[in-house]
Amino acid sequence: MRFLHPLAADSDGPADLLGAKARGLIVLRRLGLPVPPGFVIDARACRAHLRIGRFPAGLDAELAVAVRDLEAATGRRFGGRERPLAVSVRSGAAVSMPGMMNTVLNLGLTRDATAALAAETADPGFAQEARRRFLISFAAAAGGAGDVADDAMSQLRAAVGAVFSSWRTPRATTYRELHGIPHDLGTAVIVQAMVFGNRDRRSGTGVAFSRDPNTGRNEPYGDVLFGRQGEDVVSGESTTRPLAELAHRAPGVWRDLRAALHRLERHYGDACHVEFTFEAGRLWLLQVRPGGLTARAAIRTAVDLAEEHLIDRRTALRRITPHHLRQAHTPRVRTGDGVEVLARGRGASPGVATGRLAVTADRAAEMAADGPVILVRPTTSPLDMHGLAAAGGIVTSKGGPTSHAAIVARAMGKPAVVGATALTVDTAARSVRAGERVLGEGTIITLDGSGGEIVIGDPGADDAGADGHLHRLLDWADAVSGDRSPRSAEQRLSDAQARLRDIAA
Amino acid sequence: MTSSTRPVVLHVLRCIGFAELSRVADAAGLAEAEAESDLIDLAVAGLVTRTGGQFGGWGLTDAGRAEDARSTAEELAAAGARAAISTAYERFMVLNPELLELCSAWHLRAVDGSAAPNDHSDGGYDARILDRFVDLDRRADPVCGELSAALPRFRRYRARLTTALDRARSGELEHLTESMTSYHTVWFQLHEDLLATLGIPRQ
Repeated sequence: MRFLHPLAADSDGPADLLGAKARGLIVLRRLGLPVPPGFVIDARACRAHLRIGRFPAGLDAELAVAVRDLEAATGRRFGGRERPLAVSVRSGAAVSMPGMMNTVLNLGLTRDATAALAAETADPGFAQEARRRFLISFAAAAGGAGDVADDAMSQLRAAVGAVFSSWRTPRATTYRELHGIPHDLGTAVIVQAMVFGNRDRRSGTGVAFSRDPNTGRNEPYGDVLFGRQGEDVVSGESTTRPLAELAHRAPGVWRDLRAALHRLERHYGDACHVEFTFEAGRLWLLQVRPGGLTARAAIRTAVDLAEEHLIDRRTALRRITPHHLRQAHTPRVRTGDGVEVLARGRGASPGVATGRLAVTADRAAEMAADGPVILVRPTTSPLDMHGLAAAGGIVTSKGGPTSHAAIVARAMGKPAVVGATALTVDTAARSVRAGERVLGEGTIITLDGSGGEIVIGDPGADDAGADGHLHRLLDWADAVSGDRSPRSAEQRLSDAQARLRDIAA
Repeated sequence: MTSSTRPVVLHVLRCIGFAELSRVADAAGLAEAEAESDLIDLAVAGLVTRTGGQFGGWGLTDAGRAEDARSTAEELAAAGARAAISTAYERFMVLNPELLELCSAWHLRAVDGSAAPNDHSDGGYDARILDRFVDLDRRADPVCGELSAALPRFRRYRARLTTALDRARSGELEHLTESMTSYHTVWFQLHEDLLATLGIPRQ
């Protein structure tokens, strides 16, 4: 095999060609954690494809062999009329690159294979839904062009080619320009046997952090969607549940997930997060990445990991950057005892804002004469601009950090939370609903544009200055540098890091 | 003359929201006196209103919104432009996420794995973003052309986008995302205009 590598514990393809996602999957395999069987097509195949406009010689044959191996490993047939094998096809970057084809799910569900899946599971609705998801994700990948071949290998080749070609979309090119990523790298492609989070009531999908990424608290944190497939979590189209609900709804999955996160922290010596799916009560891990914490959480985690003896104090000091210290001073809303979190979204413009709830731009502009207002909208249009200008903070229930609302909020320097999917805005009733809670216009709420929390009332804000973990870290820094004179936190850290570099040299 | 520009002014308010006279005139491509005359006529007809206070300005009434929806639909049908505008809208929506990502990159920059405010101390980073704005604008140009060919009132967006980009390139960087006549603001209004013209609700 020249281009293909199995996702196996003993895979040793060059890291830069396999991509971060495949390397993470191989780490999971080495640690004995559950990963759906599959293979990775390395970036050389993509580079060749971009150069010559078609698959390089030998790739078709390698794909055929790899699919046969996957059939043998799963005891299934790709596109088969009995026990059909379906696969996911994903690009290999750890962070999805805007404009690149990301994921095709349930590939290989031809008409025959879908009928076979329906017969095998005795659940035609599930099989049809799986095929529908395939057709939608495939059409998005192929740019809506052409019909879907009713042949599994043709589908696979088309999807792999679509991932390769998407490297060159203008949007992906722009992303690479902005982030200093060379244009000739190309992407790996990962093909794995499907696991179905939409299989039954004991199935689902989610994202799990080994520690709270906002605070660093040593408890698994994340979102889960029961009875759904992976993309639903990322798309924000469905309302997710807090990860801890797994504990009573799928206790076996919860136990295995906690054990896996613990094992991964010991391996990386750092907090980490995973994407996971569970099918009929069985856990599968689909991606792992270390880190991913906000600055204050990163500081707390580095200190906690040192005190848990997973890393030494010097490693903790090296891991924290001056940027972390600066970021840690961004005010954050107080949470904890007695503070009721109404909903969470994504922080889109940092800062904490408190004010009276308004659900239309007109009312926000009127109410602003009597003090601070928080404008809560499903989404925003230019017709809301006077309300955005009048408000002290902005919440949208839809959209992401690159929505028009997020951009306007940042341009105006106002704290904002977007994508708070649990909120329903009722302009007629002048209220906002979150589950059982209904808040009328004028209710005091507070939002945190870093962590994405929306809380009822005004619990106040604090910054890392009062944080015991930061003090401990800086004590360790002074012990290393031997300098206990009063200096800024950044200076104390950089003195210690300079001393550590001297020792290493 | 005034009467023929009245629907233009009405539709501008539909796309830019509450605004002072100067912004209305700029968006409509009219002298302020002309725009004001139209606004007063429209106010007499109950289609627009002027609110006071810090965040006030000229804005549509409910009747004005309904009248604009009617006249815009009539205009689209009379010009036989629905198919052309729909096609251009699809092409606009390919560019839209990239524009939004560029604006976000202008505000926030990945540092040590998390997003930090872009403090504009790195001229090279800012220059790369500006280059990509110029590149995107070049690709937006044929879309603007198709829109203008289908309905001439869309020409004004091309002019306003060019003004914003030229000012940013000459060093007035607030005209990328910050000002009320910034590239993003004009683009956002063009987006709203396409939705309003085609009668598509905002997602």
